[in-house]
Amino acid sequence: MISELLYVSLKYGLLLLEGLRTTFIITIASYAIGFAGGLCIAIARVFFHKILKVFAGVYVELFRGTPMLVQLFFVYYALPEIGIRVDPVTASIIAIGLNSAAYQAEYIRSALSSIPYSEIEAAYSLGLTKLNILIYIMLPQAIRIAIPTLTNEAIYLFKYSSIAYFVTASELMYVGKLIATRTFLYVEVYVLLALLYILFSIVLSEIARYIERKLQIPGYVT
Amino acid sequence: MLKEELLIVEDLWKFIDGKPVLKGITFDVSRGETKVILGPSGAGKSTLLRCINLLVVPDRGRIIFDGEDVLKRRDIHNVRSKMGFVFQHFNLFSHMTALENVMLGLVKVKKMPKHEAEKKAKEALMAVGIAEELWNRYPAQLSGGQQQRVAIARALAMEPKLILFDEPTSALDPELIWEVLNVMERLAKAKMTMIVVTHEIGFAMRVASEVMFLDDGMILERGPPEQVILNPCNERVKRFMDRMKYVYSLDTG
Ligand SMILES: Nc1ncnc2c1ncn2[C@@H]1O[C@H](COP(=O)(O)OP(=O)(O)OP(=O)(O)O)[C@@H](O)[C@H]1O
Ligand SMILES: [Mg+2]
Repeated sequence: MISELLYVSLKYGLLLLEGLRTTFIITIASYAIGFAGGLCIAIARVFFHKILKVFAGVYVELFRGTPMLVQLFFVYYALPEIGIRVDPVTASIIAIGLNSAAYQAEYIRSALSSIPYSEIEAAYSLGLTKLNILIYIMLPQAIRIAIPTLTNEAIYLFKYSSIAYFVTASELMYVGKLIATRTFLYVEVYVLLALLYILFSIVLSEIARYIERKLQIPGYVT
Repeated sequence: MLKEELLIVEDLWKFIDGKPVLKGITFDVSRGETKVILGPSGAGKSTLLRCINLLVVPDRGRIIFDGEDVLKRRDIHNVRSKMGFVFQHFNLFSHMTALENVMLGLVKVKKMPKHEAEKKAKEALMAVGIAEELWNRYPAQLSGGQQQRVAIARALAMEPKLILFDEPTSALDPELIWEVLNVMERLAKAKMTMIVVTHEIGFAMRVASEVMFLDDGMILERGPPEQVILNPCNERVKRFMDRMKYVYSLDTG
């Protein structure tokens, strides 16, 4: 087992690294889309009126209510029908990003609505506008509150990016499958993949904890 | 010449869930005056203060502040920036230091350059007795009395024409009450115009130019503190004051 693991690592190391790189590209890009989109949706749901609120609500329900794989297939196979052709990696980034936006929106929204109204009222009493209150009072606190769930989401995405395999994006999972079929060392290859996923999940959660500590407000107990 | 009255409240009504909370409140506040509002819990004291700077929008009536009809103004932010508000639970921004709390309004509302705002904020903090070593502390690292004084500095730094206090000492221990009342008394002496909702009848006796007793959304009695606190005409007010005097062991003479 050990010698096979070493053999695979040495012989296909470069390929695995490339797969890992693609996995990271999908994770980071889709997380960025998810965060930007989630932020906008959350703000719309907490802050704006009627139409925008309804639209944001429908978006969240739609993306949380359907399987991510269906969303991915939709982007990859249905979009070309209307003339938008995307490569596997881009399709994965779009689908996972849009899906993550729905979840991140909910995390940020619940954080936004947990900010004590008393502070918002104090900000109004100083003469601050709604927009300024959002930027300087609500968001800085909401992001801090949401940090644990938001960083967790990054770890999820790192693992869920493996569904890109189904549209032949050459990420870690896809590369693994390739190596496995070529060498017939299925168990060894998947153990290796699992180790890689675990290793980087741990690294990510350590980074998350570091960020959390950095942003902590002194003396503040939640 | 500036008119004598800074604030005129006329026939103010507010309904909450269909229930009248303010029932035609009328009074005015002169420049430099300290008006104290007393009254039982649920009387509508907080609602009245909140109506004055439109944190709550009244249903009927007029509010004339500094010669302008507040309810007709579209730039309510400007009006609010000229009125300070000090809350019972301080309501400091928990993610900002004491200094940042005081600076925020100066920079974002008054559009002051950072260094100027910082200088001004420090002056305000000094004025309420918050020493330099506390400036960079977060609210959670300050005592209640210190937090409330920072909150007063935050209001003060904006150079408001009027400060509204909503039970500023009700959440504090006795010793801390003193340090906050002391600051407020100094403000009154310096002719800051203030409306103070409080249960501190000792403070009212010393500082108030007029005391109003509010109950069930109406002003039951008003007059100099010696009258309203020590010798009220209204039966309801008399009952309330007797209890207050017992609680605060104030000698009735
Ligand atoms: N947001 C609200 N929702 C429902 N009822 C409210 C609200 N705000 C105030 N009220 C009601 O209005 C009445 C007056 O409330 P208000 O807070 O102005 O009283 P208060 O005199 O400040 O009392 P306290 O001394 O307890 O602070 C109360 O009966 C209260 O229940
Ligand atoms: Mg109150």
